Amino acid sequence: MYRSTRGLPVAVAAAAVLFIAGRFVPALAGDTGGAPEGPTIGPEVPAVEISLAYRPELDPGRAGYYGFGTTATPEMIAGWDIDVRPDGTGLPEGSGSVEEGEPLYEEQCAACHGFFGEGEGRWPKLAGGYGTLTEARPEKTIGSYWPYASTVWDYVHRAMPFFEPQSLTDDEVYAIVAYLLYLNDIVGDDFVLTRDNLAGIEMPHRDGFFVDPRPDVQNVACMKDCKDPDSIKITWDSTDLGVTPTEFFKGDEEEGETATAADPNLGLNVYQQACATCHKGGLAGAPIVGDRDQWRTRLAQGMDVLVEHAVNGYQGSAGYMPPKGGQIQLTDEEVAAAVRYMTASASE
Amino acid sequence: MASGIRIKAKLTGDQVEVKTLMKHEMETGTRKDSKTGETVPAHYIQEVKAEINGNVVMTANWGPAVSKNPYLSFNVNGAKAGDTLKISWVDNKGETDSAETTIS
Ligand code: HEC
Ligand code: HEC
Repeated sequence: MYRSTRGLPVAVAAAAVLFIAGRFVPALAGDTGGAPEGPTIGPEVPAVEISLAYRPELDPGRAGYYGFGTTATPEMIAGWDIDVRPDGTGLPEGSGSVEEGEPLYEEQCAACHGFFGEGEGRWPKLAGGYGTLTEARPEKTIGSYWPYASTVWDYVHRAMPFFEPQSLTDDEVYAIVAYLLYLNDIVGDDFVLTRDNLAGIEMPHRDGFFVDPRPDVQNVACMKDCKDPDSIKITWDSTDLGVTPTEFFKGDEEEGETATAADPNLGLNVYQQACATCHKGGLAGAPIVGDRDQWRTRLAQGMDVLVEHAVNGYQGSAGYMPPKGGQIQLTDEEVAAAVRYMTASASE
Repeated sequence: MASGIRIKAKLTGDQVEVKTLMKHEMETGTRKDSKTGETVPAHYIQEVKAEINGNVVMTANWGPAVSKNPYLSFNVNGAKAGDTLKISWVDNKGETDSAETTIS
């Protein structure tokens, strides 16, 4: 039996997301029958201004009545309320053995996750990885990382198999989860997983999480003699990284007009998406970006010729340059921007 | 579950499809420990053997190029359900592991 490495500085958020994903929050719509909690709007309550375009008539006799939505039926709630908690709350009646799980897993899951949970290709690994959490390439699997068995049940029941989620019966989920625990050396091959014993399964990494004690915000709020807001300038934002599609930005002034502000990263973006396949490494005879010798005579032809060749394609002595690099959806302007980007780095 | 080898052996027609996963570090001997900067000594499986009812049906000579926790799959002709399949390995430090399963 392997033991996991503890004390890894993983923010608890990672785990929290998994578990919160399934939490059901009752909607505050319709007649809540005078529910004690939740906002009420009535003459006795000092009004909190809510900006809604549509304001239905308030019915003071029915607290919490907003005039829209319908009360969720127990069946509707049951359809959403499928989360399973670490203590077993939410688990349906049922059971399944490792033995029953094996053929189900091989049929429904092994194609992606591997016959032993080792993960085919780049599909996620589900087993093993013990002791790797502190290594440069941690392998986070059910066995090495997940703190509760309930999450395995919830996840498989909710989201797997990938292309047909929620197609498994409850007993099938029990059997497959039993088999996954077996693949992770957590239970033996004769184990039968039931609603009653699931919460008692001790996952190897159960004590590996802690609440991150660092505060969310480091700065102390300024209450007096503070900086003049006008003197504060934005010196850098994520658009500088070239990963934000700035063409969708609209400044306040240009509201209504079409924004035509040139994107300084257009050339780079187009190049990476449409040209780098060949021009980065010289595939199919393409001149390599940044290699001056390869570009010198080409540059001498002038920008118009280069752009024309890139847009319409041509057969040269080194090889064939396809029109727009094969990506005909690009506009001529986008291709020209890519050419400017490519030649700028060659003539530096 | 003392063995670090998992095996599946399924008979279809007269061919057994064997799948096996072996737990092993498979250190190449050229990797440097990122913290100490020291070379991690080579440690890899050199020989894998498959036996059916005690008769060797396959021997594989491996080297450091095989990945960590290797997965191996092969087919064997002429075995029948109920036969015992044994997989074993020996590594460059002389360590060994083995596991058996019944062909089904
Ligand atoms: C078509 C490929 C495919 C099949 C088949 C499939 N899965 Fe998955 N599985 C995935 C992908 C992709 C993810 C990652 C999803 C994500 O992170 O959003 C995943 C994630 C998971 C995870 C979470 C892994 C982790 O550590 O986050 C579990 C557990 C899992 N699958 C179990 C199963 C089970 C059980 C079956 C069979 C009933 C199954 N899967 C079938 C593709 C597949
Ligand atoms: C499939 C590979 C391939 C792709 C993708 C590709 N190119 Fe080319 N490109 C070539 C080859 C090959 C040549 C050299 C042809 C010759 O001169 O023999 C070339 C040449 C060029 C030239 C030099 C033209 C000249 O007259 O010397 C420019 C400019 C150019 N490509 C721009 C682009 C742009 C912009 C893109 C992306 C929109 C792109 N290429 C995508 C293969 C490619």
